Amino acid sequence: MTQEEKRFIEKIVTQINESIKSDIRIMEVCGTHAYQIAMFGIRKLLTPKIHLVSGPGCPVCVTEPDYIDALIALLRHENVSVATFGDLLRVRGSSGSLEEQKSLGRKVITVYSPEDVLVLAKKKKGEYIVFAAVGFETTAPLYAALLQTAQKEKIQNLFLLTSLKRMEPAIRFILGEAGVHIDGMLCPGHVATITGIGPFLPVTTEYNIPAVICGFEAMDIIASIGILCKQITGEVPHRLINTYKRCVRDTGNPTALCLINEVFRISDVSWRGIGMIQGSALTLNHRYEVYDAAKRFNLKIETTTTSFPDGCECGKILIGEKTPDVCNNFGRMCTPEHPMGPCMISSEGACAVYYRFGGDEI
Amino acid sequence: MKGKITLRHGDGGLHTNRLIRDIFYRHFDNEILTRYQDAAIFSLKTGRLAFTTDGFVVKPIFFPGGDIGKLAASGTINDLTAAGAAPLFLSTGFVIEEGFEIEMLDRIAASMGQTCNTVGAKIVTGDTKVVEKGLVDGVYINTSGIGIVHGCFCPRRITCGDEIILTGTLAEHGTAILLERYDLGIQSDIVSDCKPLSEIIPALGDHIKYVKLMRDPTRGGVATALCEISESEHIGAMIDEEKLKIRPAVRAVHDLLGTDPLYFASEGRMILVIEKGYGMEIINILKKLESCCDAEIIGTFSKMYSRVCLRTTFGGERILSMLENQTISRIC
Repeated sequence: MTQEEKRFIEKIVTQINESIKSDIRIMEVCGTHAYQIAMFGIRKLLTPKIHLVSGPGCPVCVTEPDYIDALIALLRHENVSVATFGDLLRVRGSSGSLEEQKSLGRKVITVYSPEDVLVLAKKKKGEYIVFAAVGFETTAPLYAALLQTAQKEKIQNLFLLTSLKRMEPAIRFILGEAGVHIDGMLCPGHVATITGIGPFLPVTTEYNIPAVICGFEAMDIIASIGILCKQITGEVPHRLINTYKRCVRDTGNPTALCLINEVFRISDVSWRGIGMIQGSALTLNHRYEVYDAAKRFNLKIETTTTSFPDGCECGKILIGEKTPDVCNNFGRMCTPEHPMGPCMISSEGACAVYYRFGGDEI
Repeated sequence: MKGKITLRHGDGGLHTNRLIRDIFYRHFDNEILTRYQDAAIFSLKTGRLAFTTDGFVVKPIFFPGGDIGKLAASGTINDLTAAGAAPLFLSTGFVIEEGFEIEMLDRIAASMGQTCNTVGAKIVTGDTKVVEKGLVDGVYINTSGIGIVHGCFCPRRITCGDEIILTGTLAEHGTAILLERYDLGIQSDIVSDCKPLSEIIPALGDHIKYVKLMRDPTRGGVATALCEISESEHIGAMIDEEKLKIRPAVRAVHDLLGTDPLYFASEGRMILVIEKGYGMEIINILKKLESCCDAEIIGTFSKMYSRVCLRTTFGGERILSMLENQTISRIC
């Protein structure tokens, strides 16, 4: 970071801290923002009157146990391998985790990109490869492109078990039905890179809450918090601002959006700790349902009400009602080594981030 | 010698003898080893001794900047260095997989011998075992070493204000292994920093009395090493991110992968805790050494903090926690 950038940050931080006279709550709805804010030590720079809280933006944290159970059920089929990104391995369903299944010798394969899955399917022609497709709009185009390639190359042993979620319905749920009080929102830059600014407009137009589409560098985050504070204090009117213009166009990424529309349809899905949110899922449409592992292997993903271990506050942490440090299990019975709740599992989960880098107090 | 290792190379007979003579004796050549006795016999000056042992299972066996042989020699030499000792004698045990290329074994032994020669240490005894194919992955090496501790070195309790020196750039060994192992398609010039650091001890001379503790930040990286020191000494520390030197290529890889270089191993760096007020004196000595030319005071221990904290480049603060989940296995 250059001296000029440091002076710029210092100036904004001074302005922010001088302008905020009473307690305010700013929510980030992206696991990467939660991680970066803590990693850059931003809380320490800001007045304690600014409370930075997390929303349901970590896809691993909001994946229902029933989905994990379905993946584990697939492993009981002979000739089925489950391919997954590493962060899903430790998430527990009601019958354990993929990591435990792997240690029992079941075929769980960690991959680093959807292309790895394609290579795998070509290599293991006599086997079925099921890819655990978890994520938001950010990763959905990658899965869509994978299936298009599979279709083009007539690969018939590759399937997806999807748990893909849409950000806008979740934000509407938090601000509407759940009635969570926040004064400003840092909107996820990489979701907006795909979707454009559309899904985030209602935050200001319908709910009258200041919102900024934000990138992931220290400068992005601090400048965005600065803009939110100006709107919160009434210095400027409430309006959705995009400070991540180097990546986010108003209309998003048309190629990626085409891919999503070509392969997926909108449906309902249950979010761990939150429950059913209508219209919040992306599932394979009729043109691609031949790749749907749930259909191919006749799986039924039951949607049950999530139960958390005793004292676990993940349900409230996921919607920004509480911060991890108020949970009695945090750092005592629940650590990244022995996670009890889902927010401690993924490295971008709110609790794991708090545990690793510290929260309001270090 | 060419060909492949077979089980008979480990049976203690003619082929074992030939292997020992043609490879190990040739590369480790010294009068104590080549007496071909069951144990090495040598005399030592009186004083305190340091004794250490380590196993090496790194994958891949050959990596940019070194190989398992260089690593096995450097690792034990650096453990002795951390104890304030000049390395004298090493032992080594090889467990080799049936079918391993003898030419590769020759290269590994050559770099072990060369590494020891550069610091005046000798491999004076060893052992060779061969196991069936599939029971080990190529070759595993154990080294042990003894050295004489410098008369003025006396590890002491760390107190408020003691300064923390890191002798160079971060995370190069772990990053080089990461790139080799996972075939990430990233082209870079990153090489392991693997090297012996024993020149530190004679260079410090009597100034070593100001050194309260030394630790080489191998597995778990600089962050974990600092956390271990903080926990055992019951004192927190503040590290200045701006003082941590990371080569641009290493930083770029970690930015891309979302990993933290503070948790990636170095195999040619040392953390030194220096008595309050003497940090710069020690830095001036270290910077003259080829292996420590990038040495820097990276922070201080302080009672104001209960844990190790990091001040970010623009003034934010956060905790540096101990490594909880393994980032990458078999790095050494």
